Amino acid sequence: MARDWQPEFEQLIDEHQSMVYSLAVRMTGDRGLAEEIAQDVFLELDRHLSKIESPLHACFWLRRVTMNRAADALRRQRVRGLDLWVEMDENHGAPPEVKPSPLGARLEALLATLPAPQRAALVLRYQEDLTPEEIAATLDAPVATVKSHLQRGLKLLRAKAEVCLKEFVRNGNTPGNA
Amino acid sequence: METPQGTPESMDEFEREMSQACERRPAPPSLKRKILERRSRQNTERLHRRVVFWQRLAACLLLVAALGGVLAWRNAVERRKGEAAREQVFTALRIANHALNAMNAQLTGRTNEAQ
Repeated sequence: MARDWQPEFEQLIDEHQSMVYSLAVRMTGDRGLAEEIAQDVFLELDRHLSKIESPLHACFWLRRVTMNRAADALRRQRVRGLDLWVEMDENHGAPPEVKPSPLGARLEALLATLPAPQRAALVLRYQEDLTPEEIAATLDAPVATVKSHLQRGLKLLRAKAEVCLKEFVRNGNTPGNA
Repeated sequence: METPQGTPESMDEFEREMSQACERRPAPPSLKRKILERRSRQNTERLHRRVVFWQRLAACLLLVAALGGVLAWRNAVERRKGEAAREQVFTALRIANHALNAMNAQLTGRTNEAQ
């Protein structure tokens, strides 16, 4: 089957490196590991470039492989018994990044404390702005499971935010009325 | 309401904060360079592995051909030796046959004389 779209590897890196890196960072909480995952993902993309049919397919493929790689990395870390949740500010030789707002940073740190499946669903929902159906396709999970992860993750995050983010509670955004 | 509806309008304040907190981060500037370097390195390694594979295959074929040649040569030598031995046996048999014929003729002559 002839394809109109011819993927350019370097162009794909330029377009998607931020997405891949951000997903990996939010899933692993480790910038060094995230960079390694991003490199592996793009190298795998290079090997499968002939199978990529469209820009949308490339984006979907990259999200899916990144999430799988991040999950594998988390599993490996758990098996080795290492403490994965290094501080979010820990720098593994990576350049300093643009700091989000204090509230955003706190929320991001709280997000990192959620169980991996809930974190994956929330990251895809709020970073990539995907619908539950798209998240289900990306994670290869049933839609009902994804919706459940999203709801539970949000609930847990709200509860943690209520405890930790005083300014958030002061504004009246408690889990009950949020 | 905690069910994500997928539209910004349906998001509450908390979800909007989440969306802002989860904005994509810029990748490290060195990421692309590192990927391209690793890709180049892997391509070189792959090429090297392919060359080594073909070299090994060629060496194996050469070895098999050499072994086959040696076996064929040994077979030919054995066959030549066998043929030479057979010729010698035939010669010996011819000589023995000739001697026996001569002996038989002598014996027949003596028998006739005795009668």
